[in-house]
Amino acid sequence: MITLAKKIKEERDKKEKGNRATESPKGSRISVRDKLLTKEVTELDENVPESCKVDFKDPNVLHEFTLTVTPGEGYWKEGIFIFHVMIPEEYNIKPPHVLCETKIWHPNISENGEVCLSLLREHTLDGSGWAPTRKLKDIVWGLNSLFTDLLNFDDPLNVEASELYFKNKESFRRRVEDYIRLYASPRR
Amino acid sequence: MIFNIYSRCQSKEEASGIVKMAAENSLEEQDVNMEENTPSKEQGVQKMFTLKKWNAVAMWSWDVECDTCAICRVQVMDACLRCQSDNKQEECVVIWGECNHSFHNCCMSLWVVQNNRCPLCQQEWVVQRIGR
Ligand SMILES: [Zn+2]
Ligand SMILES: [Zn+2]
Ligand SMILES: [Zn+2]
Repeated sequence: MITLAKKIKEERDKKEKGNRATESPKGSRISVRDKLLTKEVTELDENVPESCKVDFKDPNVLHEFTLTVTPGEGYWKEGIFIFHVMIPEEYNIKPPHVLCETKIWHPNISENGEVCLSLLREHTLDGSGWAPTRKLKDIVWGLNSLFTDLLNFDDPLNVEASELYFKNKESFRRRVEDYIRLYASPRR
Repeated sequence: MIFNIYSRCQSKEEASGIVKMAAENSLEEQDVNMEENTPSKEQGVQKMFTLKKWNAVAMWSWDVECDTCAICRVQVMDACLRCQSDNKQEECVVIWGECNHSFHNCCMSLWVVQNNRCPLCQQEWVVQRIGR
């Protein structure tokens, strides 16, 4: 992060000097996405719920990170769920892409890891989908809320999970816990 | 003593700005009558101080809430993020919708392809005018 911020500053300084000869060659130019992300990532550090942790593998790559959610309440309490967030070149016109890397039994996350969260949707008829006014922190808060406030059994992605919940809440709970034990527990 | 006066200009045609006025008055010791037992003979009313000098300073700045492009997050009166990096500052114009929200034309033209709504109020996007 720090490296990229420095790179952006250097480029700006160069531009201010108006020295075209020293302008960086094409390809190494910092994209609009990365400029937006530099600001957002700084904000993100200060504004993440307690149950969340954000990790950047490479400090020079801001468009890819993992989010680890450890819910403190609800059915998935104390499971460790890892989300992989990829931010496309067309950000913030296009929304980030999110995949849940931890196998989970959840009505809004498929067993393949697809996530159903309205603010990640590219095309919506109402105002609930993606908009450039949204930021990374909204996505972190949104994913975190999938375990609490945004948990939605009425519009499921994993239909089986939702059906089991309505049929027998106790079996649903047990299935969730089995999955946590198998896939979302700390490695020993 | 320093007086700070903040006032906000909200009219639509005018650029909304913040006016900050700082005024200082200088006090001269002779004019401050601090001794309670010796009331001013001429007026009979005790006078704490007299204003001798008034320096007014005014500043203004764009109201960030209304004048930042919600898409690239740069002020609409400056060129958008894309035009800045492409060195096309002169070509970058502002677009206003019927909802009175404004964006860079460059930024909005990318967004409407995806969703023909104002990103700020979600109303259907109808162009009111394009310009500076
Ligand atoms: Zn813009
Ligand atoms: Zn532009
Ligand atoms: Zn609007």
